[in-house]
Amino acid sequence: MYQVQELTKIYDMGKVKVKALEGVSFTVPDGDMLAIMGRSGSGKSTLLRQMGLLDQPTSGRILLDGREVSRLPERERAKLRLRHLGYVFQEYALLGELTAHQNVYLPGMMLGEADNYRERARELLELVGLGERINHYPKELSGGEQQRVAIARALINRPRVLLADEPCANLDTISSAMVMETLVRLNRELGVTVIFVSHDPDDRKYAQSVLVLSDGRIAQRSGQVK
Amino acid sequence: MSRSFRVASLLAASSIRQGSLGVTLLIILILALVGLNLLFVPGLLGGLVSGANEKVIQTYTADIVVESRRESMLIRDVDRLISRIEAIRGVIAATPRIKLGAELSFDDERTGAVIYGIRPEREKRVFTIHQSLIEGSYLEPGDRDGILLGIQLAGADQPDIELYYRSLRRVHAGDRITVTYASGLEKKYIVRGVFHTEYIQTDLEAFVVEKELRAANPLPPDHAASIHVNIAPNADIRSIAAQIGSLRDDLKILTWEDYAGIVRSMTGSFTVIKAILNVVNLLVAGITIFIVTYIDVVNRRRQIGIQRAIGITPGSITLAYLMRATFYAVTGIIVASLAFKYLVVPLEARYPFHFPFGDVFLRAELWDMLRTALILLSTALAAAFIPVRAVMRVKILDAIWSS
Repeated sequence: MYQVQELTKIYDMGKVKVKALEGVSFTVPDGDMLAIMGRSGSGKSTLLRQMGLLDQPTSGRILLDGREVSRLPERERAKLRLRHLGYVFQEYALLGELTAHQNVYLPGMMLGEADNYRERARELLELVGLGERINHYPKELSGGEQQRVAIARALINRPRVLLADEPCANLDTISSAMVMETLVRLNRELGVTVIFVSHDPDDRKYAQSVLVLSDGRIAQRSGQVK
Repeated sequence: MSRSFRVASLLAASSIRQGSLGVTLLIILILALVGLNLLFVPGLLGGLVSGANEKVIQTYTADIVVESRRESMLIRDVDRLISRIEAIRGVIAATPRIKLGAELSFDDERTGAVIYGIRPEREKRVFTIHQSLIEGSYLEPGDRDGILLGIQLAGADQPDIELYYRSLRRVHAGDRITVTYASGLEKKYIVRGVFHTEYIQTDLEAFVVEKELRAANPLPPDHAASIHVNIAPNADIRSIAAQIGSLRDDLKILTWEDYAGIVRSMTGSFTVIKAILNVVNLLVAGITIFIVTYIDVVNRRRQIGIQRAIGITPGSITLAYLMRATFYAVTGIIVASLAFKYLVVPLEARYPFHFPFGDVFLRAELWDMLRTALILLSTALAAAFIPVRAVMRVKILDAIWSS
């Protein structure tokens, strides 16, 4: 269970302080597929970055299975990111010097609980429909393919939660649909909790729960999210 | 640890393999040039010092010089003393010399000189002057009319030598010169040979056989002004000097370093200069490698941010950059060492630097190469570590999106 309690994030821009999130609270049950929606600048990506432990909130708490995780030191947060969270960036964020296969198995190699991470990476790439392209470098893949590699990478260590920050923002309609359907399939087949950010109202159809943000506050919530 | 090592190896190998070949070659070239610089200066100064020392030993003093403590400044009972010196383990040969001040003249030219009375056969076992003849031949033991001149005395029509205008200028082997000894005795000698050792002090010397000098001047028999001792290459000079000193208590024993104080002072200065230049070179090397690595790391901030975001530990990322730095440094060191040993040293040997004590040859010693390798590697590692750790302290999101 993922809990966000009274989360506030203020960016200090020198003379100006920008309040990106203000007192946001909600709980995501295990296995949910939650869409965080809202207009540009509503605080969606900021919220996801706090939940992905890539940034620290100004105030408030984030609890994973009841454990406060947002104030942990960087070393501990890195471990949590590696073991329990998968993160998909808007701009794919693949490592350009590694092949698709290497990009996917790198976090598995880091965790190193078993030496079968190479095989698992291959299976994941097949799962996202890229079994034929595992030895290609990112520059040799389309945007949609790169995003699917990023999803496979996020899943290599069997995370409990997959966070995707506007995964289709830079993709065409067909690629967007493929990526979103991949996320739905992973949620259903692997039982992974998926939390994705989108500004496209059409993406509501992929979610079981929806959270709408406006000016850093929750404007609307539906589904299992409380 | 093995996980971190494997991840770091993958990241390092991929970045080298997939990185720009031009940039990789440029970094290696810069490191190789830094390495060459670190090798060249000690090599040159090392060659300078050892070249000067060798010249002094081989042409001017030998390894040990024995003089007298007596008021007359002459060593007595020379033949017996030489036998005893040569009986010491590690001594190859010893040769006595007597000397007299004189004036040499040829046509209208005159110059002052010290004339040494030598035993030619013994001299050849102690000095290498006989190998430095540029004209004529060496003295024969029974030669009573011949004289051997250093080029700085003869001139030999070579105006580019250092003391040409103080020399006899046009004297060659076969010419007759006049020698006026301090006693007033004047005698003509045939110049048997002219030598050029390239050590000025030696090239200012003139030699006749000992018997001739004794016949021409009232010198006490079986006495010498000095005895010069040649020892085996690995022999302990201090121990042999002490043993010679213990033979008699009227002897003054000097090693070549004690005797040639000017050279010692010069080599001491060169050693200090070498140390200063090494420190400067090290700083230049460190700053150069730091700049190259810093630019490289700054360009990879986003990559580092992504690696951190997906859970790669800072230790693994840092290790990957240290591995890259090691690769560049080791390759640079190999290139520098090969270029120095097989290109710079042979080229300099063909066109050596000329100094007043002879041609200077670069020395490529294993220790210098190892030290350079260690310095370069340590500097490269430190220069890689500092900027990588700085990027590690930047927030992940800043690293990814501020690039």
